[in-house]
Amino acid sequence: MTSTNTTARTGMLDTFLRYGFLIVFAGFFALFTVVNPIFVTPGNILNIVEGSAVLLILALGMTLVVSMGGIDLSVGIALDFGAAFAVVAMKNYGIDWSTAVLIGIAGGTLVGGLNAILVVGLNVSPFLATLGTFFIGSSVQRIFTNGGGPISYRKMPEEFRNLALGDVFGIPSEVIIALVLLAIYFVVLQRSIFGRRAHAIGMQTSAALVAGIKVKLYVALGFVLASGTCAIGGIIAAANMRMFTPLAGFSYLMDAIAAVFIGAAINARGRPNVMGTVVGVLFLAMVTNGLNLMGLDFNTKDALSGLILVGALALAVSQQKRG
Amino acid sequence: MRSLTLTRLVGIAPLLIFVAMLAYIGFNAPNFFTVTTADLVLKQSIPVVVVSLGLAIVVMAGGDDIVAGGIDLSIPSTAALAASITALLVTNMNQPLIVGLLAALAAALAIGLVNALLVTRINMTPLLATLASSVAIVGIASVVTSSRRINVTDPAIVFIRDGCILGISADVVLVAILVFVAFHLIHRTRWGMNMQAVGGSRDAAEISGIPVKRFLFSSFVLAALAGWLAAPFVLARGSGVSPGVEENLLIEMVLATFLGAAFSPRRVVTLWGAVLGAILVAAVSIGFKSMGVNVFWTGLIKGSLILIVVALAAVSSRTRT
Amino acid sequence: MTHAALVMKDISKAFPGIQALDKASLEVRPGEIHGMVGENGAGKSSIIKVLAGIYRAESGTIFVMGKPIENITPEAVHAFGIRFIHQELHLVPHFTVTESVFMGQETSGPFGLRSRDMRRRAESFLKETLNASISGGALIRDLGPAERKLVQIARALIDGQARIVVFDEPTAPLSSDEIAQLFQAIRALKARGIAMLYVSHYLKEITEICDRVTVFRNGRDVARFEQITPQSGGELVSAMVGRELGELYPPRGERTVSDAPVLALRDAGDGALFEGVSLELRAGEIVGIAGLVGSGRSAVVDTLYGLRKLHAGGMELDGKPVRFRSPAEAVAKGIVLVPRDRRNDGLVLSMSSAENINIASLDEIARFWLESRKRAHIRAERQIADLDIRPVDPDVIARNLSGGNQQKLVLGRWLATDARVFLLDEPTVGVDVGARVEIYALIERLVEQGAAVLISSSDPAELIGTCDRILVMMRGRIACEVDAGGLAVDELVALTTGANGEAA
Repeated sequence: MTSTNTTARTGMLDTFLRYGFLIVFAGFFALFTVVNPIFVTPGNILNIVEGSAVLLILALGMTLVVSMGGIDLSVGIALDFGAAFAVVAMKNYGIDWSTAVLIGIAGGTLVGGLNAILVVGLNVSPFLATLGTFFIGSSVQRIFTNGGGPISYRKMPEEFRNLALGDVFGIPSEVIIALVLLAIYFVVLQRSIFGRRAHAIGMQTSAALVAGIKVKLYVALGFVLASGTCAIGGIIAAANMRMFTPLAGFSYLMDAIAAVFIGAAINARGRPNVMGTVVGVLFLAMVTNGLNLMGLDFNTKDALSGLILVGALALAVSQQKRG
Repeated sequence: MRSLTLTRLVGIAPLLIFVAMLAYIGFNAPNFFTVTTADLVLKQSIPVVVVSLGLAIVVMAGGDDIVAGGIDLSIPSTAALAASITALLVTNMNQPLIVGLLAALAAALAIGLVNALLVTRINMTPLLATLASSVAIVGIASVVTSSRRINVTDPAIVFIRDGCILGISADVVLVAILVFVAFHLIHRTRWGMNMQAVGGSRDAAEISGIPVKRFLFSSFVLAALAGWLAAPFVLARGSGVSPGVEENLLIEMVLATFLGAAFSPRRVVTLWGAVLGAILVAAVSIGFKSMGVNVFWTGLIKGSLILIVVALAAVSSRTRT
Repeated sequence: MTHAALVMKDISKAFPGIQALDKASLEVRPGEIHGMVGENGAGKSSIIKVLAGIYRAESGTIFVMGKPIENITPEAVHAFGIRFIHQELHLVPHFTVTESVFMGQETSGPFGLRSRDMRRRAESFLKETLNASISGGALIRDLGPAERKLVQIARALIDGQARIVVFDEPTAPLSSDEIAQLFQAIRALKARGIAMLYVSHYLKEITEICDRVTVFRNGRDVARFEQITPQSGGELVSAMVGRELGELYPPRGERTVSDAPVLALRDAGDGALFEGVSLELRAGEIVGIAGLVGSGRSAVVDTLYGLRKLHAGGMELDGKPVRFRSPAEAVAKGIVLVPRDRRNDGLVLSMSSAENINIASLDEIARFWLESRKRAHIRAERQIADLDIRPVDPDVIARNLSGGNQQKLVLGRWLATDARVFLLDEPTVGVDVGARVEIYALIERLVEQGAAVLISSSDPAELIGTCDRILVMMRGRIACEVDAGGLAVDELVALTTGANGEAA
């Protein structure tokens, strides 16, 4: 389908739309500051950054999958599995914390493995495959916890807890972990030859195939790596709360998707990208924090952030169909 | 010719699985194949039937291909919101039922409008659009109910739940009428035929002069309307509205609608298929429950079934071309 | 003189760099089957698109039954009674015949659709007007290709308002029996006085069914044949091809042809589009495949590259059996493809020239797997200079390049690897003359350096000008193999179109 309309959108309008999101970002920032000046204090800003660590980790995994033209609705499940495997390993099997972390990551990659089999092996569309994984993963968690109750682990090893609560030279360790992952993803996805191939797959899959790129391998790896990354997020979440909360991952799903699409919209080529995702994550974390500071009850907060999400996504997608 | 049999087999597989499950239940559950159970099954399936009608319409207009085609995941949330608004007005604010329903209708139409615009104007994939909107809708519903359960004891709602028309449960009769009306609209009018054409092949419809975007737009509004229509039945079944009522409805709606495609002679999503699918899903749920199976295992089975149906559809479309 | 049903006079249409139509004219009488022939790019599809209101002509007029069409839009053209039977069926697989025939024009009464009435009318139309017994309740996906074509025709004509029908390549997917069935229907329409325009590459069918034929070349009607007989094939070919061959092709240089084939197919079939195909590619040699749409040559090329699966027979690389499950495996062995759909499969249009050039050889520009922008630029600039790609800036987005330069970009990408077998599928489609000359020179250079080249093309002159030998494919099989030296273009065209009465 040739749309001749897109060529008309050049110059000023295009620039506005591209920066439109940043304008919205600044607007909300100003609004929250006016409503509650505590918003701009360094302590609060640190709160926002710290609170966005887990979301950023999930959004990084999502960025990888979306940049190859897919989507992953099971990121929350990977998070949950990561937490579950790690906590159970330590609590029920007395395994030491570092091995438990590895086990947790392995648990998360199971989710990605299932997605990879469905999408690459059986040719199911990524949306449906990950939707199915999401449904199954949710049920499995309910069965495992006999109804959805959390598994708490008070005597969690200090080192494990420190993954979330400790700090290194004053910077919270969860932020450091997130930054490390951010750096890795940035280098791989935006600067390495693997990232170049991944982007080619997302931009024009058939051309990437003809150019000799191993599309199936990359897509499968993408799902596995993304879920492994989300598992790390789950481990941090579990360390934070000293428990595994089933289905906790779901609340991150829409935000992760939105962050990636917002990031794509502010990119010159309309492509999903790591730094753009960071902006998206910060925006959403800022909105959550700002709404909190407004002293609204949690229902109103939910409703407002849901509406803002739809609006932000709409703005992002309407800009994205350029590249 | 071998590929033809394989395609047929793959297409029928979900139906066979279901029949097998029912047979298994029949052997293991006491008194499963009785009139009382049948009545129970029908009543349980009603909210799913109504929302599945909405999903079937969106799929029929948008195309079977779930990636680029039509889907609306926000219908159950719309039903929950409509039920919440009605319950709030009727129980907490002592308004007549009609006022509650009208307010809910306004909300539902607004949702339908937003979904339609997101898909046809902003060109968002229906999946993303309706997924996002359902999050917002659930948030709004939580404001309406303050995340608390609201009871409803309005006589009309009670009648739907307990009453009988001509010896059959009132809710069953009402939904049956709804299904017949929908069927006539979709399969017996020019408008309905054209909408199916849009979903069947967008190019073919365009060549035949059918306004594609207009039909896509309407399908989302109708889907939201279906959500609104489901609200009274949701209220009846639950004697009110509780937070989270849309979750189970979502998975059953998706399962019922796509399972229904396997039952239809043309192997596409149809109204009757969706209705039959909803009834079968309810039958299996009730069956497993009466066998003492953990409700979460049933959830796992439903999730796996969706995957199986979807995987088979993907495989069969490969063997067909 | 019989009053003409359709007259198109002096139609001109230009695109940037190409004059698609140059004062072209056409005339069709009622009850006449008027054939339209010409090579790719001769103007056939352009003039049809002008008639359909898809293209806006710069000059010229269209008359239907003597009345001019003022504003040539699809709606106006339809209102004037002109119907198009496109090459694409545009039918819904799960619809019934009745539903398909009446799509967009259903009849309804107070109780809803008049299903029984429509079914009766569909079946009787198919039977009486098209000579076809097809059940109104049958599903499209259960019908054979000829029946589907007839349903498509019925849909266009059921309203009884059609006066002129344009057939665009109607027989490409049909077997000879099905073609006979279709021709029966077309003759039935002729008997009703409907004027028909029949566009096709298959000269055998043109000479069989058409009354008169107009030949297109270089954007205009260059010849009209008033009396067509089954023997007219040769004359048609001459008119289509004309006299010009030009200085496009470089002289054949010093070549060392290897004894053993580098890549070969042995009795290969894919179970759908071709079977029993055997061919050998040798280093230092250029082999061509000629054939019309539906001949299977595209599928053969795809199979060599791992884009299609072999169901029968085998493939050999350097004499050893091999099977490519994906292009990645082929590329790893030094076999590369320049695909026919350059914009979708050849380039990532939103990437820059440099990115496209390096995409298949990223390891070469990497330092510890990180892209070195400097190295990427150096490599890209080398290819750009070598191939004279314009614009010279390696960061220009590929979408903004002309067709010829885009094609050179694709070639540049492969030249940056160690490719030794080049599969070229329609290498100069949409490419301007200047770039064509450069591409042919490049191909010659490659072969002199020891590469093996396969060219699949619908341009017979191109095949003769570049190849050493040419395989002709027809309807899935290799019909014959000819030496390119000394072959005349007419002869090759005659072979590919079956103008000499070759069986389909």
